[in-house]
Amino acid sequence: MIERAPRVQSVTRFSTLERVEHGAVMTLFVVLALTGFPQKFYDHRWAQVLTGWLGGVDTARWFHRAAGLMFGALLAAHVLRLAVSVVRRTTTLSMVPTRRDVADAIQTINYYLGSGDAPRFDRFDYRQKFEYWGMLLGSAVVVGTGLALLFPIRTASWLPGQLIPAAYVAHSQEGLMAFLVVIVWHIYNAHLNPDVFPFDASIFTGEISAHRLEHEHAIEYERLAQGATGMPVQTPDNPYRRLSWPVQLVVAPIAGAVFAMLLPALGMGVVVKAAFDAMTGRRTRRGQGDSQDRQAVARTS
Amino acid sequence: MTADGRFVIALACWILFVTAPASAQPSGRSEPVDNATCLGCHADASLAIKAADGAGISLHVSENALAGSVHAKHACVDCHKAMAEIPHPAMALASKRTLTVALNEQCRACHFANYTKTLDSVHQLAVARGDRMAPLCVDCHGAHDVKKPSTPRTLVSQTCAKCHEGVAAAYARSVHGQDVSKDNPDVPTCVDCHHAHDIAGPHKTEWELRLPDMCGRCHADAAKMKKYGLSTNVLRTYLADFHGKTASLRRDQGTPVSGAVVARCPDCHGVHDIQKTKDPQSHVIKANLLQTCRQCHPGATGNFPGAWLSHYEPGLHKAPLVYAVKVGYWLLIPFMIGGLGLQILLHLWRLSGIR
Repeated sequence: MIERAPRVQSVTRFSTLERVEHGAVMTLFVVLALTGFPQKFYDHRWAQVLTGWLGGVDTARWFHRAAGLMFGALLAAHVLRLAVSVVRRTTTLSMVPTRRDVADAIQTINYYLGSGDAPRFDRFDYRQKFEYWGMLLGSAVVVGTGLALLFPIRTASWLPGQLIPAAYVAHSQEGLMAFLVVIVWHIYNAHLNPDVFPFDASIFTGEISAHRLEHEHAIEYERLAQGATGMPVQTPDNPYRRLSWPVQLVVAPIAGAVFAMLLPALGMGVVVKAAFDAMTGRRTRRGQGDSQDRQAVARTS
Repeated sequence: MTADGRFVIALACWILFVTAPASAQPSGRSEPVDNATCLGCHADASLAIKAADGAGISLHVSENALAGSVHAKHACVDCHKAMAEIPHPAMALASKRTLTVALNEQCRACHFANYTKTLDSVHQLAVARGDRMAPLCVDCHGAHDVKKPSTPRTLVSQTCAKCHEGVAAAYARSVHGQDVSKDNPDVPTCVDCHHAHDIAGPHKTEWELRLPDMCGRCHADAAKMKKYGLSTNVLRTYLADFHGKTASLRRDQGTPVSGAVVARCPDCHGVHDIQKTKDPQSHVIKANLLQTCRQCHPGATGNFPGAWLSHYEPGLHKAPLVYAVKVGYWLLIPFMIGGLGLQILLHLWRLSGIR
């Protein structure tokens, strides 16, 4: 397979629309964070200084609301675009997490811990799916709660008033969480990760080098290589494709949400397991399989 | 009084002055005049002159009032410096007020700090507008009978009530005003909020921005509030809410305020007519709350006041939904960032080859 690798140096990975979407989200995210956090941390000196630089809290709020409405419009357009493509069956659903992504995540952690090889990924790896769904669902929370806060009278005219302070807490905390995920996860995976350091430019150029594709998305790379040789291109394996579109529209965000919770749980699980191992006297990970077997034997006997 | 009459009085004063005993004269004075000299004429209750507008100006000074005042030990000429010259120099007085305005300057000599503060006050703005009746020092403090201004404390609102009658009446019925008449030292009088000398206009931005802290000075004071069974959370919960954050940021951002007014303590609780929150007259009792919200949010409906947690911290019994969201994120954020961060650390650990 490798000797038949395409001669192209790079492959188009993101459409112009997707690149524009990323650019818009990035810009709006910065504006929203800059104008939002001084309001959240109003009693810190830096927040007051920053608010002053922004021209006062009222000006900052104006920008926050304008950017928020644009962000909401962007989210609505994105969801609508995807919904249409789901209905017309023109999407491969390659971003929806599957059982395989859970297995990949576990295998990756095991690989980090020293057992086995790193998994091979398709078009989007589990980290990217996590980030996409985290972003999408987090955006739904901040846009929804943001609208409730922008129109409190209308909200309270048909919903309990207590939803407004609840929306306030959710908006503020979800924004903080999104910011921290971007700082920790996105900045690591797109910038600081030694594999891509200093900068994974794919989302800006739309291109990925064949070398990187082969390394980071081996399954997709092989499929593309197959197509380049004139052989019929395999449809990527995705269990959701067998479902009817209304079911897909419901299941996809649920799968995304579950996976967005599962991935940090796996990280936490490593700690819990290490603590458990320490308590039960298991020392090394290398002999883990043996000791498990031994315990199983001990239990049955 | 005719010019002849004035001359007679001046002459009498002069005679008294030159014949006064030397022992009563304070030492070091170039033209020593003691109070007895002055009272020699001014104790006369009928002593008066006429201003150019025809109004009579009594020149009578009550010896008792003077003796009971905080200035009892001062010489008349300490304030009435020009009157040390006997016979007194002629003064052209358009009205009685002209004399008061002219004498007002005398207070500055000793009370420089407070005098200077009044220059920033809303009363001084009225003076600058040309309002002859705008209050000067003596209008509040009295002239010859000047006393400690806040003993008893009811004296303060009585003084302000001379002009601000309606406000003083509302205050007298309020939770603060009712207690001040019992001489309770904890409740604020007019000047505790408005200040005595640098009284800011209540519609000035600086005044509006300092409001929460002003109320918080007492209402966030645990020792003081304990006496009345009041919560000191009120300031913190207000500041953590949308209205309070806006007020704080506007105060501290160092730029001019551009937005609409944001609710501060008196906007909900009332300005001078503040009542206990459980009083049926209170603006913030549940029955009146929607009406209070509508002052700023005209379209508000029945559910809207529920958006305000009445200074309570969300908890299982108060605003459980808000509490659930709060606790949910307290758990979710460390879980999310910790879970992802650990995976990054594991990756770096693997790459570093330490293991």
